[in-house]
Amino acid sequence: MKPSVSSLYQAVELQQEIPPLLIGERANSNGSKKFRELLLADDFESCLKIAQEQEAKGAHIIDLCTAYAGRDELADMTTLVQMCAGSVKAPLMIDSTTPECIEACLKLYPGRCIINSINLEDGGANLRRICGAAKKYGAAVVALTINEQGMAMTAADKLAIAKEIYAIAVEELGLRPSDLLFDCLTFTVGSGDENLRDAAIHTIEGIKLVKKELPGTLTVLGLSNISFGLAPKARRILNSVFLHEAVEAGLDAAIVDAAKILPLARISQEDREVCLDLLFDRTAGQEPKPLMRFIEHFSDRADDDFDEEKGSGRTPEEQLFHHVVTGDKDGLEDILPVLMERYKPLAIINQMLVPAMRHVGELFGKGEILLPFVLQSAEVMKRSVTLLEPFMDKIDGESATKILLATVQGDVHDIGKNLVDIILSNNGYKVYNLGIKIPAEAIIEKAKEYDVDLIGLSGLLVKSAIVMQESMAQYKAAGLKTPIMLGGAALTPKFVAESCVPGYDGPVVYCRDAFAGLKAVREFEDGTLTSTVFDRITSVEAMKPGVKDAAIDRDVPVPTPPFIGQRYVEAIDPQELFPLVNIQALFRGRWGYRRGKMGAEEYSELLTTTVQPIYDGLIEQSLEQHLIAPKVSYGYFSCYSKDNTVFIEADGTTYPFAFPRQTEAPHLCIADYFKTKEEGGDIAGFFVVTIGEKMAETTARLYDTDAYHDYLMLHGFSVEVTDALAEYWHAKMREELGIGDTNVQGVVTQGYQGSRYGFGYPACPDMDVHKPLFAFLKPEKIGVSLTENMQMVPEQTTSAIVVHHPQAKYFAV
Amino acid sequence: MESDELNERYICINCGYVYDPAKGDPMNNIADDTPFAELPEAWVCPMCYATQDQFDLLD
Repeated sequence: MKPSVSSLYQAVELQQEIPPLLIGERANSNGSKKFRELLLADDFESCLKIAQEQEAKGAHIIDLCTAYAGRDELADMTTLVQMCAGSVKAPLMIDSTTPECIEACLKLYPGRCIINSINLEDGGANLRRICGAAKKYGAAVVALTINEQGMAMTAADKLAIAKEIYAIAVEELGLRPSDLLFDCLTFTVGSGDENLRDAAIHTIEGIKLVKKELPGTLTVLGLSNISFGLAPKARRILNSVFLHEAVEAGLDAAIVDAAKILPLARISQEDREVCLDLLFDRTAGQEPKPLMRFIEHFSDRADDDFDEEKGSGRTPEEQLFHHVVTGDKDGLEDILPVLMERYKPLAIINQMLVPAMRHVGELFGKGEILLPFVLQSAEVMKRSVTLLEPFMDKIDGESATKILLATVQGDVHDIGKNLVDIILSNNGYKVYNLGIKIPAEAIIEKAKEYDVDLIGLSGLLVKSAIVMQESMAQYKAAGLKTPIMLGGAALTPKFVAESCVPGYDGPVVYCRDAFAGLKAVREFEDGTLTSTVFDRITSVEAMKPGVKDAAIDRDVPVPTPPFIGQRYVEAIDPQELFPLVNIQALFRGRWGYRRGKMGAEEYSELLTTTVQPIYDGLIEQSLEQHLIAPKVSYGYFSCYSKDNTVFIEADGTTYPFAFPRQTEAPHLCIADYFKTKEEGGDIAGFFVVTIGEKMAETTARLYDTDAYHDYLMLHGFSVEVTDALAEYWHAKMREELGIGDTNVQGVVTQGYQGSRYGFGYPACPDMDVHKPLFAFLKPEKIGVSLTENMQMVPEQTTSAIVVHHPQAKYFAV
Repeated sequence: MESDELNERYICINCGYVYDPAKGDPMNNIADDTPFAELPEAWVCPMCYATQDQFDLLD
């Protein structure tokens, strides 16, 4: 008699006349969200219906799985097995790894079913127990080629484990060879992972070897893993082609969504060839690679059934991928344990999470998703890794590429560096984030200690660009050749290529954002990373915009300040600041909610439904938690200019403020806007404003707890509120000086008299002027201090010189 | 098509400056009625010097 299984109603041959035997996969709490939700609602009748529906779609056997965290698997399984026994004509496949549960089901089922599954992960204890039960109650058994070392990747290993299992199940315990269905395991060929490039070949080869070396046994495959990570429409086609190839190799049974298998005749020859190229890594040496050709070839097929119901019909692998892509943290605790039954934690990270993050990065690169959503995806990645970590050997991570990150000496800005950390560490790299204000000596020491593969240096200020340039010689002298990535607002490719690259022996690469950093790391791994090149011929030197008029009116009347000297102000209502916040710079710039390719309506909807509520929520939160405590130290001082220097009289001392002059026409310098001693002297205003350190602490805490999205939001908000405070106070000072109206709406266009020049910014890149400024504004009393490199702490602080001259507008030196 | 481009204002995501084709950018010798797409490659935000890729279509 041919090997068969049976229900109460019918017998089904395991080797179908027209193979394969189709095993329906939908009645599975881990693979189908719909089934799971029904189960969680104790709606067993509807669960049964899902099992029944698959028969109509062509399934010969129905797989039944109720394992789910928090549920009583034994109770659920026995309930449903009893219901299926009476109502489903197709024989059952008992999908469980718990021996007690399997035994209970075998006892109840009035026919011969299939057990899914056994393996040698624990060395054989469970396998012996389950095979014993199979023998006693008469059942067939699915055997996965997994042993204590993990899942077999090569055909030879697959066969070796199959032989081990055969020896125990058949020779030791007396099962018949035809009671065993070997699953040679399927891995995706869609991830781009080099190690999996020949995964389909090994699986197919494994099937052939098992059929040849273990005659009489059967083979089965969980089919859909082969295409994991690819687009749904393309998956159906690839799955169907793979199934055909596997059957040709001798496959007897496949666990599938029977409704989604396409007859080979319905697949065009061209589609088939592209699939076969990918599966068998044909034309491997040629460019583009088979995977790229496959993606390209199927890129225009609509994914019409992708979003039909979130999670429905998805395998746990797909669900995890979907969670990362959509930035959904809910339910990870349920999905990961399921995956860990089949994969090692590192495999989950490398084969599922990292490809998902890569996909997210690609979508960002194409402008299809925005930075805040990328951060939410990174949070899902981080959370998953945190959940997996306790199960990982520490050794696991050591092969990862190692990157050192630091904000350079004298610079306190860490948001840019931290974004790089988030993106790199959540793409599977090992990141050593040294923090802010890191001297070159410390960077050299740690780079050697951790033996890092790349160094990433960050800094916002103009001064930081100079620090980077100057430290190249130190890195070279220390013998480093490690590639260095440079990033920061004041850097340009030209500066990096011409001022940094020549000073160092290894590659020096300009990275405009975190994703450019990621790209550089990938290029390093591919051995293609080279220094930034600036091509003078094709590149255009950026304009130096700003004031073009060099003839500065010397006869502007000097306004009368209400007082001379320094004062503190603390009684400022935060509510006064919000109307002055530069919403566009916050939403589109700092937060990254750019309009990009979006239509006007779509963008407007994003703003109304997502962005504005975040902003409103932050205002509410900062008021409730008193995160904004505006404080000001300011004053008016007699002064006069001489060449590039403004001399300030304060407390009986004369403080020189030396400002740089443009090296090209119109050769402007801030000092030009002040009258000389001979012209009768002038008045200069100064201020230091801060919203206090509580905001900085709260922001830092968000980063430390991996709340990446909220971190970016609050940090951007805090910086723009600080700027609003500067704008607010500048208006107050103009009012006190009696220059023009108190209109502050001219924030961006500087539609008011005079200007404020921040230190560290284009008209005055040097921050050493903070030293005299602190001497007479004494902002320590409002909680602001200076670092050894003249930067103010907390970060949410800003300073400026207030110039009343009507011709004073922004320019860059 | 051209009239569309002339109505398309662009905003600097770094500082909020709005480039209005109707007004051009006199400070940098950009004439009235110059669409954003036709600005010289070297043109940067006249307020904060951000490059053109830092601009977003406004409305």
